[in-house]
Amino acid sequence: MLLIYLLVLAVFSTAVFVLARRAARRRATVVKAHSAAGYHGAWALIWAAVPALIILILASTFDARIERTVLIASAPEAVQALDAPRRAAFIEDARIVGAGGMPRQIWTGDLSTALQEEAARASRVDGALAWGGLIAAILAALIGAGLAWRQTRPEFRARNRVEAFVSVALFACSAVAILTTIGIVASLVFESLRFFQTVPITEFLFGTQWSPQIAIRADQVGSTGAFGAVPLFVGTFLIMVIAMLVAGPIGLFSAIYLAEYAGPKRRAVIKPVLEILAGVPTVVYGFFAALTVGPSFRAFFNWIGAQLVGGPLDGLGQHLLLVQNQMALVAGAVMGIMLIPFVSSLSDDIINAVPQSLRDGSYAMGATRSETIKRVVLPAALPGIAGAFLLAVSRAIGETMIVTMAAGLAARTTLNPLDTVTTVTVQIVTLLTGDQEFDSAKTLAAFGLGLTLFVVTLILNFAAQRIVQTYREQYD
Amino acid sequence: MRFNLFRQLDGAESGGTAATSPLLAPPHAAHQEPTGPIKIQTRDVSVFYGDKQALFDVSVDIPDKAVTAFIGPSGCGKSSFLRCLNRMNDTIPIARVKGSIRMDGEDIYDKALDPVLLRARVGMVFQKPNPFPKSIFENVAYGPRIHGLTENKTELADRVEQSLKRAGLWAEVADRLDAAATGLSGGQQQRLVIARAIAVEPEVILMDEPCSALDPIATAKIEELMDELREEYCLVIVTHSMAQAARVSQRTAFFHMGELVEFDDTETIFQNPRDKRTLDYITGRFG
Ligand SMILES: Nc1ncnc2c1ncn2[C@@H]1O[C@H](COP(=O)(O)OP(=O)(O)OP(=O)(O)O)[C@@H](O)[C@H]1O
Ligand SMILES: [Mg+2]
Repeated sequence: MLLIYLLVLAVFSTAVFVLARRAARRRATVVKAHSAAGYHGAWALIWAAVPALIILILASTFDARIERTVLIASAPEAVQALDAPRRAAFIEDARIVGAGGMPRQIWTGDLSTALQEEAARASRVDGALAWGGLIAAILAALIGAGLAWRQTRPEFRARNRVEAFVSVALFACSAVAILTTIGIVASLVFESLRFFQTVPITEFLFGTQWSPQIAIRADQVGSTGAFGAVPLFVGTFLIMVIAMLVAGPIGLFSAIYLAEYAGPKRRAVIKPVLEILAGVPTVVYGFFAALTVGPSFRAFFNWIGAQLVGGPLDGLGQHLLLVQNQMALVAGAVMGIMLIPFVSSLSDDIINAVPQSLRDGSYAMGATRSETIKRVVLPAALPGIAGAFLLAVSRAIGETMIVTMAAGLAARTTLNPLDTVTTVTVQIVTLLTGDQEFDSAKTLAAFGLGLTLFVVTLILNFAAQRIVQTYREQYD
Repeated sequence: MRFNLFRQLDGAESGGTAATSPLLAPPHAAHQEPTGPIKIQTRDVSVFYGDKQALFDVSVDIPDKAVTAFIGPSGCGKSSFLRCLNRMNDTIPIARVKGSIRMDGEDIYDKALDPVLLRARVGMVFQKPNPFPKSIFENVAYGPRIHGLTENKTELADRVEQSLKRAGLWAEVADRLDAAATGLSGGQQQRLVIARAIAVEPEVILMDEPCSALDPIATAKIEELMDELREEYCLVIVTHSMAQAARVSQRTAFFHMGELVEFDDTETIFQNPRDKRTLDYITGRFG
């Protein structure tokens, strides 16, 4: 329905635009107009479309809510007597029946008859609201168009008005983006503060026990839950370091190859391929890690372990497998592969920004290509490359999918890359998936972790951007 | 014999007012001094960028212990030819060079010759000063380091000092050798770059419009420096300033549309050019 209204509104306001433009042209023949006719048309269009649009949107957003309030206010005794959730369910069923559907629950006795009455009333209220909204929108469109029409005089400064409106509209769009971000951050901070009321922030940041599963009955094991996030930080750090050990050198060297050695032809092939790699969804890397890399790493390291130490035998006379599919090394290595295109494409840009005149200067001194790269190009590009690495680190610690699938859940404080570890992001996922009460410390812990992650990546991104920025300025 | 460009030209046109332009007085009346033996000999050198030919059959004999100037309108191939002399054209993938270039009788385009070694013998200074983003000391030490010219730290420091002194920069930077080279003024940077080139003790120094980014005072300093360096090196400069060519060079080559039009003593080029195009160019009628 709304779609049809919008369509009608679009046609109407276009017509208003055309008419107002024509009128402006006609009226401007005697006196020279301040604004071009098109601006008069646009001004009329704004007045015809915007108020009506706002009314339509408000009406369709709030009509269900208004309907519910009206229905509850005037419901019969039997309904009023119900407790809040039951009453809400009843009203909901009344609306469904009123719209011609089947009730979701079985209501008996008084309620059964009341349901029919309420359904009839619901459909009346619904109709009234819909008509009310529509009429209000039509009126708004007509009045708006009429007002603007009267302003279509040659001396009217339509251009300035239209430009002011456009700039306000653009500002509103950017404000939406900023306000949403602020809102998200605010809720993150707010919920974290609630969490830190139950779990002291020092315990959260420095505690070494992480077992957020709070048992339902007090006599079960782990009835209290522990929220020391150090194991998560260590796990995140370990995986990040492994990822950077993979992505850093490979990314940097491929960037050097691309920028300094590859001719234009090879560059034209390799660069797009790397950019495609950067577009592979992380979940694909995730199952690559879980299904391919994990098992083969496990087999390999268990074989090595068996060769080296022998180790205990299981019932079938084979060596007990000590390394599992899920380990920091697998998650880190695959994440590193994911980051290679990211690092190499950023570093490539930065190396390319080193002025050719520096290379020429070095070649003219009789330096070879590798000497030039090692002693002139890389030192000159170093700050920028450091910035690129920081951005990669920030992506590594925020990455969720790969670690969820390949790192594991055991919160262990270990730096052994063959161990199962867990990360901040993985824990946020496990804390929030499944049935949750919104108020439990367990759920709120996710906000604490989220805030920590946010602060760290914010600092990293900020530092990286500053570094890259000053680096760019140096050569402008 | 001192000569003056404008006197000669004025004489040709208006019957001779003998005004001497101070601009054109050579700093040390350099022009009568004898030049050394032939250092670089080119025969039928052509340069191609892809399919486009930028330079056509250039043959010149460049003398040692002298300044040779290349002049000519923009795009006529001066830089292209200069870059042939230290094989910097090798670093441009689409560039091709034909013909023969001999330095001290040795073919520098010989397959067996390593361009990297050649460039240690033929230094180059570019139009825009391009100090490396390192300290002043490290900039000058760059060449000696990569070529392993010095045994130890004191020798290296000595060589840096000597080079800076010869480039006339020592007094200005002696107390801040560890400061960033990019913090120097344009003129200082250009002299630093010259010091950097000198530090590897090249035999030839090529300069491509070394003063075009500098103010007159810095330019005068560099010109003075060229005149001193001439005593030990073979200098080849590209310049758009007729006055500069007249002031510092002994030999001048005039290029036009990729061809060498005229190559002679600077004096002759400016006083008695054989070719009409040369005359038109030096009197500012085109280019
Ligand atoms: N790297 C290059 N790729 C393609 N063409 C080039 C390249 N360098 C020079 N050329 C061409 O070769 C011709 C000669 O250029 P060159 O730079 O030698 O002129 P120039 O005399 O030094 O000019 P200027 O006085 O402006 O420096 C020009 O037509 C130019 O377009
Ligand atoms: Mg040039």
